[in-house]
Amino acid sequence: MSTLEAPVRLGAATRLAAMARLPALARLIAPPAIATLALFAGWDLLVRSGAVSARLLPAPEKVWNTLLRSMSVLLEQAQPTFWAAIAGIFAAAVLGILLGIAVSVSLIARQAVYPTIVFFQLIPKVALAPVFLIWFGTGFTAKVVFAVFIAFFPVLIGTIAGLQAAPPSYGRLCQSLLMSRLQILLTVELPFALPHIFSGLRIGVTFAVIGVVLGEFITAQTGLGYIILFSANNFETALLLAAILMLCAVGIVLFALFLALEAIVTKLYDSR
Amino acid sequence: MVSAVDTPPLTAAPVTLAFDRARGVMLPMAFGAGLLLLWQLAASGLQIPKVILPTPTDVFGALLNNADTIWQQTIPTVRDTLLGFGLATVLGIGLASLLSFSRVLRDAVYPLIIVIQLVPKIAWTPLFIVWAGIGWQSRLTIATFICFFPIFIAMMAGLESTDRSLVRLCRGLTASAWRTFWLVRLPGSLTYLFAGLKIAITLSVIGVIVAEFISSSEGLGFLILKSAALLQTDMILAAITVLCIVGLICYGLVHSGEVAVRRWRGE
Repeated sequence: MSTLEAPVRLGAATRLAAMARLPALARLIAPPAIATLALFAGWDLLVRSGAVSARLLPAPEKVWNTLLRSMSVLLEQAQPTFWAAIAGIFAAAVLGILLGIAVSVSLIARQAVYPTIVFFQLIPKVALAPVFLIWFGTGFTAKVVFAVFIAFFPVLIGTIAGLQAAPPSYGRLCQSLLMSRLQILLTVELPFALPHIFSGLRIGVTFAVIGVVLGEFITAQTGLGYIILFSANNFETALLLAAILMLCAVGIVLFALFLALEAIVTKLYDSR
Repeated sequence: MVSAVDTPPLTAAPVTLAFDRARGVMLPMAFGAGLLLLWQLAASGLQIPKVILPTPTDVFGALLNNADTIWQQTIPTVRDTLLGFGLATVLGIGLASLLSFSRVLRDAVYPLIIVIQLVPKIAWTPLFIVWAGIGWQSRLTIATFICFFPIFIAMMAGLESTDRSLVRLCRGLTASAWRTFWLVRLPGSLTYLFAGLKIAITLSVIGVIVAEFISSSEGLGFLILKSAALLQTDMILAAITVLCIVGLICYGLVHSGEVAVRRWRGE
């Protein structure tokens, strides 16, 4: 083995020495930054040269200007989207975690319910959006309930998988210490489940945003989804792209919120 | 192993095993049947209007009565789903393989794609309709776009998971980069690839349906939205039932593809 590795190590060493001259951060950032610049330059060139109609693809500069000019409208419309997604993911989190715990209490319940949940993961739940509109109208409630419906499944699956993550020996130890079922759940099973629950929540957050935007596509009353559809219908591609950028910002803020929540909860459990 | 041990206590084991296996199948089926029964009893017992919640038998009736219409609308949906998925598979595997040959290219493009992938992709649907029109082309583009990311990312992860010592061995044996790719990197990434393909096929159906919601005059998504406008809830649920079956069949196809590839490779 060592004879095989020796020349390669030498090669790697010289290469490392050469690369060490560049600061590590620059090496990490330079290639994607150059690629991004090339992408934007190519986009700009494509539009300016007239190869692509500015109506179908406005220049990056125009998208940016539209974003700034329409900022007040976009911020106003981002609010219903943001709050619906927040309400959706929190309700989905509570429901998913509680149901996950309830199902995990008995082996028979888990065996009965889990395949049904996996089945629901496979089918296109998005198709049910119109049914939710019939049930809950075209307002805020319908969006939230649909977001809950979509975001609920990853949380539930994460919880069920997580509650099985504790090593069996811990369970045996707890039993010999005569701990109650609730104590075992709170002190052993739940801490082990946390990483799984949070990975389910991270998927759930993006799903909630998708659910809300889809609801806005179909009801077309308020929110960024409405702006996106409205500008597509009017061929206002610059506004459409600006609204997508705003939606990205909403998604990133929500995702960051959950990362922060995960860090806080994990720290709380670690310090105990 | 089993034939060597034939002491009496162990003969009970296969029976328990069969029972356990049957339980693994019977319990979820009983649960599903129980849910359907509950739905039927609740909808008919509580006098819930058919517009709000039709009973499962209503839905089944709508399915039988409109079998022709539903079948006609199923064909375009399945066509766009499979074509988009196929195109995305070719593009995803192709780009990931290309990037695996050049480190600079990989460092430049990979982070960019990860960032693009963070955007809620469904939100792009209206843009593609502006670009590609309201015909099947836009639906195909959307399905391809949505499927591309999980396939590409899984393939990248697979290609990067290659055992370093194997690559070193290939280099030591003076194998060309192409042969190393074909004989070592590609086979090693198949497990990852199929994980990505399974995610992609479910996303493909979703992409096509959303595109049909927004602008279409054909497909199951169109049928669902049209029935919603006419408040024919039983028809919506019948179309969704067919859609679920379509989704499961597509998923099954990818799964059997994986099984076939594994068997072919002798795993």
